Amino acid sequence: MNFPTTGSPRSAGPLVPLRLRKPLLVLLVLGGLVVVSARLCKVDLAEFVPGLAKGVEVLRFFFPPDWSSLQEMVGPALVTVLLAAVATPLGVLLSFFFGLAGARNLSPGWLRSTARTLIGVERALPEIIVLLLLVAALGVGPFPGVLALAIGSVGMLGKLFADAIEELDAKVLESVGSVGATHSQIIRFAVLPEVMPALLSHSIFRFEVNLRASVLLGAVGAGGIGFELQKAMALLEYERAMMAVLVTLLLVFGAERISDYLRRRVLDGGKLA
Amino acid sequence: MLNVEQLTKKLPDGRALLNGISFRVARGEFVGVLGASGAGKSLTLRCILGLTQADAGTATLQANDGQTFELTTCKGRCQREARRRMGVIFQGFNLVKRLRVIDNVMIGRLAQIHPLRSWLYGFTDAEAAEALEALRRVKMEKYADRITGSLSGGEMQRVAIARAVFQKPSLYLADEPIASLDPSNSLAIMKLLQPLAKETPVLGVFHQPEMTARFCTRVIAIKHGKVVYDGDPVLSHAQLEDIYGDELMQVLRPTPALPPEPEASSSAFVGQVDEATPGLLAKQAT
Amino acid sequence: MSATGLSVSVLAYVPPSVLFRRRAAIIAGVVAFVSAAGIYLNFKPWMLFTDFHHLVRLADEMIPPNVALLWRKTALYQSVAETVAMAFLGTLVGGVVAFGLAFVAAKNTTPHPWLRSVARLGFGVERATPNFVVLLILFIAFGFGPYAAMIALAIGSVGMFGKLFADAIEQIDPGPCEAVASVGANPLQVIRYAVIPQVLPSVVANGFYAFDVNMRAAIALGVYGGGGIGFELQLAMKVLRYPDVLALILLVIVLITGMERVSDLIRRSLLRSDILK
Repeated sequence: MNFPTTGSPRSAGPLVPLRLRKPLLVLLVLGGLVVVSARLCKVDLAEFVPGLAKGVEVLRFFFPPDWSSLQEMVGPALVTVLLAAVATPLGVLLSFFFGLAGARNLSPGWLRSTARTLIGVERALPEIIVLLLLVAALGVGPFPGVLALAIGSVGMLGKLFADAIEELDAKVLESVGSVGATHSQIIRFAVLPEVMPALLSHSIFRFEVNLRASVLLGAVGAGGIGFELQKAMALLEYERAMMAVLVTLLLVFGAERISDYLRRRVLDGGKLA
Repeated sequence: MLNVEQLTKKLPDGRALLNGISFRVARGEFVGVLGASGAGKSLTLRCILGLTQADAGTATLQANDGQTFELTTCKGRCQREARRRMGVIFQGFNLVKRLRVIDNVMIGRLAQIHPLRSWLYGFTDAEAAEALEALRRVKMEKYADRITGSLSGGEMQRVAIARAVFQKPSLYLADEPIASLDPSNSLAIMKLLQPLAKETPVLGVFHQPEMTARFCTRVIAIKHGKVVYDGDPVLSHAQLEDIYGDELMQVLRPTPALPPEPEASSSAFVGQVDEATPGLLAKQAT
Repeated sequence: MSATGLSVSVLAYVPPSVLFRRRAAIIAGVVAFVSAAGIYLNFKPWMLFTDFHHLVRLADEMIPPNVALLWRKTALYQSVAETVAMAFLGTLVGGVVAFGLAFVAAKNTTPHPWLRSVARLGFGVERATPNFVVLLILFIAFGFGPYAAMIALAIGSVGMFGKLFADAIEQIDPGPCEAVASVGANPLQVIRYAVIPQVLPSVVANGFYAFDVNMRAAIALGVYGGGGIGFELQLAMKVLRYPDVLALILLVIVLITGMERVSDLIRRSLLRSDILK
C-alpha cells in the first residue's frame, strides 16, 4: 500500500494513490469488457447454478459406460488414427515446400510474401471450415478428411519450418554455394541437415494435434470415432457416447506419450539427413 | 591462374570501396593479401568469388583443364562451373555442423555430381574413400565419422581445407583463414597451406604480416581500395606503417605462444622489434 | 557389406552406401505404411485429379464472394461480437479458474500430493475430451447459443492452461518463497508476494495465446451450434449460399488476423508498462 512518507499525516494526498492508478484503469477497462461480453453471450447468472445442476444431472446418464460397444469402436478408432497418420506425412511434405518458399534467405521477395500470406491465411482458418468446404465439394469420407488435416497442417508447420530455415547461418549456406553447388544441393546438404531435428520434432507434435482434430472432424463427416461419438449423442445413447469418449481418451493419451518420447529422442540424438 | 584487372566496387553514394584493383596469381604462388580493416581485401575476394557483384573490372580464371572464366560477369551455370574450380576456405570455417566430417569434405565435389544423384543417392563409397585421403592430408582421418560441430576451431579449419583439396580446384581462396584461431593452430594451418600452394596457387587474405612474411611467396597490400604493394613477402616497418596506419600496433601483437621451430634460426622472432637486424621481420628458412 | 568389399569395421567411417540403404529403408517403410493405411481407409489420392472438377465447381459457385453481405446484414456484426465475447470471457473465466487450480496441481504449492495427481489427471482428461462433447452436454444444461459455448471454452481453457500454469509455478525460484516465509508470512501471503510475481509474465503471455486459440475454437464451436460467426457460416452452407460462405470465410480470416494483431499490441504494451503488483 502506498503510504505518503513526506508531509504531515493530515495532508490531502490524491484520492487514488498514483501507483495504483494504472492497474485500476486496467481493471476498469477489463470489467467493462466483461460486462459487455456477458451481455453478448447472453449470460444469465441466475440460470448458472440450475444449469450446472442440470448438466451434472445429464452426466449421470453417461455412467456406466457401455462396455459392450467397445468392440464396435475399435474399427472407427483405427480409422481416426490412420486419418491422422496418413495426413501428417502429407502435411509435412506440403509444409516443407511452403517453408522453403517462405524463407527470406532462400526465396525471392515476391515468393516469400506469397507463401507467408498463404500460410497466414491458412492459420486463420479453423480446420473445421476447411473440412466443410471439402465435404461440400467432394462428399463425406476419408478423402476430404485427410486433405483437410494435411492442408490444416500447413498453417502451423509452414510457419515453423520457414522460421527455422530463416534462422540458419547464412555463411554456411554461402559456403556450400561456394563449391559450385546448385540451389537444390544447398537445400539438401546445408538446409536439411541443420533443420532436421526441429522438423521432426514439430512434425511429431503435429501428429498429436492432427489426431485430436481427426476426432473433431469425424463428427462433421470425416468418419472414425468422432463420428461414432456424434451419432451416439444424437441418438441419446449416452452410455455408448461415454464409451466413445473413453476410447478417445485412450487414443489421445497414448499419442501424447509416444509423441513426448519420440520428440525427446529426436532432440537429444538427432537423426542425420 | 588468376588475372584481376581494374576491379571496382562503389557504394551507392559514389565512394569507392575497391578502386581499380589489379594483380595476378600464377602457378606455384602463395599470395598473401594484407591491408587495414575495411581496406577492401575481403571484398576483393568476394568479388572474385561472385558473392558480391563488382561494378567494373574483370577477374579471369584460367583453369587447369584449359577453360577460362570471366568471374565478374559469370552467372548461373557458368558461375557454378567457375566456383567448382575454386576451393574456398573461410574465416568462420562455415561447415555444416550437423553433418559428419567426411560428409562435409564430400560436399566439395557437389558441383561435379548431378543434383538428382546427390538427392536420391548421395555420395558413393569411392568418393568417400577419396575424401578420406583428403582428410589424411590434413591429418584429420581419425575424425572422419565425428559430427563436425564437436570439433575445435583448428580442427574444423583443417576439415575445410580438406574439402577444398577434395574439390581438386585450380585455385585456392582463403578469406582470413587463421583469424579465428589461436597461434599454434594458425601455424598448423599455414603449414598446411604452404605445400598446397606448390601444386595449386593459393590466394589468401590475412591480417598477420608475420605469417605472410614467413609462408607466402608474394604479398599484395591494399589500402583504400587500391593495390599499394606487390612483391616480396617481407615488409619493412615503414612499409607496414604505411599500409596499416594506426592499426599497426594491434596487428603486430607479440605472440609468445608460438613454439620455437627446430630448423629456425635463433634470431628475432615474430613481432619483436629488433633494431639491429635490417627490417622488422626476419625471413625464416622454411 | 559396403560396395568396396571392405567390412564396415575396417573403415574409419560408415560408408555412404550403408547410410543410403538405412535411409532408403526408413523412407520405404513410411511410404509402405502410409499406402497401407490409405488403402485401408479407402483413401484414393488419385481422386484429387479425377474429382478436381468438383473443387473447381465449388470455387466457381463461391466466387465472386458476396461481400455486400458484410454491410447489408448488420446482424453479422452482432455475430462477430458474440464470437469475440465468447473467446474473451471463456479465456478470462477459464484462466482465472485454471490459475486457482494450478496451485493445487503444482508440486511446490499443493496442499496434498494426491490432490495434485487428481488435478493433473483432471486437466489431462479435459484436454483429451473432444470439446463438442462438453458443448453438447452444456447445450442440454443451458440451451443452444453462446452461453453454453462460452462455458465450454472456459472449461477447455482450464484443461489447456491448468497444465501450463502449474508447470510455470513448479519452475519458479524457491529463494523468494523462503525469504518471504522466513519473515513469518502465511502460505497465502507467500503465494501473493513470492510466487505470483514470478509467474505473472508467463501467465500473461499464455493468456494471450489462450485467447488466440479460443478465438479459433469459438468459431469451430459456433459451427456446432454455439452461435457467433461460426453458426452463420454453417447456416450459409446448409442453404447452399456459397457466395455468402466465401464472404464469411474472408470475414473470419480478417477477424482472426486482426485479433491476433490487436492482442499482440496489447500484450507488448502491457509488458512495456510493467504492471506488476
